[in-house]
Amino acid sequence: MTQQRRSRAVRAGVFATAVAGALILAGCSGTSGDGGNTTTDTKQFSLAFGVSNEVETGYEKLANQYMTENPGVKITLNKLPGETYAQTIRTQLQAGNASDVFVAAPGVGQAYSLVTLAKAGLLAPLDDTAKKVIPAGADAQFIVDGKTYGQALDIAFVGNIYNDLPGVAYPSDFQGVLDTCKKMAADKKSLFVIAGSVGANTGIMAQTIAATRVYAQDPQWDQERLAGKVTFADSQGWKDTLQAIVDMNKAGCFQKGAEGAGFDAITNGLTQGAALGMFGPSGAATEINTAAQGHAKFAVYAFPAATSSDKAYGIASSTYAYSIAASSKNKVAAQKFLDWMADPAQSKAFAKDQGTIPVSGYEDIDFKDSVYAPVESVLKDGAYTPIPNSSWPNASVYDALGAGVLGLLTGQKTIDQVLADMDAAWAN
Amino acid sequence: MTTTVESETERVIVPGRGGSRRGTRPRRPGLLKFGHWWWALPGVVLVIAIHYIATVFGGAFAFTNWSGLGSFDWIGFENFRRIFQDSSKLLALGNTLFLAFGSVILTNVLGLAIALGLNRGLKTRYALRVLFFMPVVLSPLAVSYIWKFIFDYNGPLNTVLRAIGLDSVARAWTGDPTWAIWTILIVIVWQQTGFSMVIYMAGLAAVPVEIEEAAAIDGASLWQRFWHVTLPAIRPAVAISTTLGLVNGLRVFDQIMALTGTGPAGATATLATEVYKQAFTLGNFGYGAALALVLTVIILVFAVIQQRVSSGREED
Repeated sequence: MTQQRRSRAVRAGVFATAVAGALILAGCSGTSGDGGNTTTDTKQFSLAFGVSNEVETGYEKLANQYMTENPGVKITLNKLPGETYAQTIRTQLQAGNASDVFVAAPGVGQAYSLVTLAKAGLLAPLDDTAKKVIPAGADAQFIVDGKTYGQALDIAFVGNIYNDLPGVAYPSDFQGVLDTCKKMAADKKSLFVIAGSVGANTGIMAQTIAATRVYAQDPQWDQERLAGKVTFADSQGWKDTLQAIVDMNKAGCFQKGAEGAGFDAITNGLTQGAALGMFGPSGAATEINTAAQGHAKFAVYAFPAATSSDKAYGIASSTYAYSIAASSKNKVAAQKFLDWMADPAQSKAFAKDQGTIPVSGYEDIDFKDSVYAPVESVLKDGAYTPIPNSSWPNASVYDALGAGVLGLLTGQKTIDQVLADMDAAWAN
Repeated sequence: MTTTVESETERVIVPGRGGSRRGTRPRRPGLLKFGHWWWALPGVVLVIAIHYIATVFGGAFAFTNWSGLGSFDWIGFENFRRIFQDSSKLLALGNTLFLAFGSVILTNVLGLAIALGLNRGLKTRYALRVLFFMPVVLSPLAVSYIWKFIFDYNGPLNTVLRAIGLDSVARAWTGDPTWAIWTILIVIVWQQTGFSMVIYMAGLAAVPVEIEEAAAIDGASLWQRFWHVTLPAIRPAVAISTTLGLVNGLRVFDQIMALTGTGPAGATATLATEVYKQAFTLGNFGYGAALALVLTVIILVFAVIQQRVSSGREED
């Protein structure tokens, strides 16, 4: 090759490298913006939420309603797949390209828990409107360093979703549970159906039972655990909770093959009448009733206490909240939307659509003909605690509980081992 | 200078170019020359950035306590100390090795047996080869979900067992602490045997029929023929198949997440699933990165040993 050709080749090579490098850098620098506009109303923002199917959810309906009532405001809806929603939102926030408003989970312990995100500096503080709609006793799930980072959207009651139509009365105490279980097992059915292989379902069952064994006597148990005053291993209430699960398993309360069952077992079991109840959030009752079209009548019950003279107690807290990303450039427009969402009218419309309890204006609601009729007194008396795992410091504790309950069912673990695992996970 | 090409029938004299050893070259200006390193530069930069630098960054997080969000501290080897003191991680390591070696041994033995059977002779062997290979092209996740249905408490397997009177054997296979890991092994072997079979068929095709026939004439039994004639001849195929099988077996993930979700109570967790769980589900990114590093080292060690053992014998 001649000298002239070689230098031309080298120049061309340098040029190609420079172009490639510039393209890569241009692609990477797109996210670092100007820090966000905090004073002007840009009249547009993006809204992200998780979806599992094509059915229009309350999130979408209310966003569309807002646009109708406020022409000139544009909301871009980002519907993310439900199963991976938590992880997607977390990644987007870390990268700085999350939607302006998005659904987050109150408290800590999940991939998209808003207290964790707020402590990492990824959320923008909200107005006082958000502070006003925080459900009773749940301040720690929304407020960090005196600032509110999430606006509760509704309150869900976590308990038994039970089918009243077949006429088997929901037991009023724990012995009643065991007796009913034995009767149904003799008929080759089961009182409850659980998804043993899904940690979230076994964990929610344990927490529903713990409401009357742990939190009815000591509503501040989680705060005491955070302060190190109590542990799971030395808590008689938690031992009683896990013992109740072991007793229920022996009495045949759960369907055969529960250890390997997934969510499909719950759907199949309830729709075919092989089981009467499941453990879960109250939104499921409305969903299943709509799908069953009169062939079933599901209502929300609080799991019975050990004896009928013990206090009835339940779990009710906000499962979802709206938060604003710290990197948002449309904070004013987003905040106006959240103020509108906090109105009793919107709160009731959203809760009606989701089958949950509105976060504002629920004191005057008559629950008698709704799925909440059985827990009306528990709600009105305030005899409930926010879902425990939203106060626990990391997700491993709830994971240990879910896996531990399955271990109790398969015989892999003892009650003391499960509680020790939870304490060990707490310390990590 | 001229080049002379001699073939069996004629002699051709090709004029060459002065001063160059490269033979004929197209007369084109500088930018269009083939083979220069800067043509590949954009691709090389991307591969280094996305593949290697990203991996190194991920590996660096193994020495921190990063949760995936916000800031982090450097904590040295603390994560590794935690791994080796945690009994559940040692169980995961045991499961990883069990699934890897179990799947390699079973897929290779079965794959070789099927390849030998379908090598010659059978009229339907082409159709059978297609049938045996089909599972390999399916998505592991889709295959796992179908097998999950088969292993379900009310699924086909238990229905058949109950129908033939083996009620006591029927159980929730994927929820049983002892049997769950075997269900995963069965699914892996079912899907990957076809792959081994194809590799061995290629190896067997190169074995000359004459040597086997000569051995048969000399009075060697079927087994002696296989062990002393066939197997040495397909040693490269064995090396390839076992290496690939081992490396993939150590990384198994889809089948476990779909069949058992690492349950019951962590009985089927492996290092790969633990990496995912710690780094992404539980928000212990640094700890997950440390687990990933341990897994990488294990795979490297086994791959190197594997290659040494297989290629060492090739010379004889």
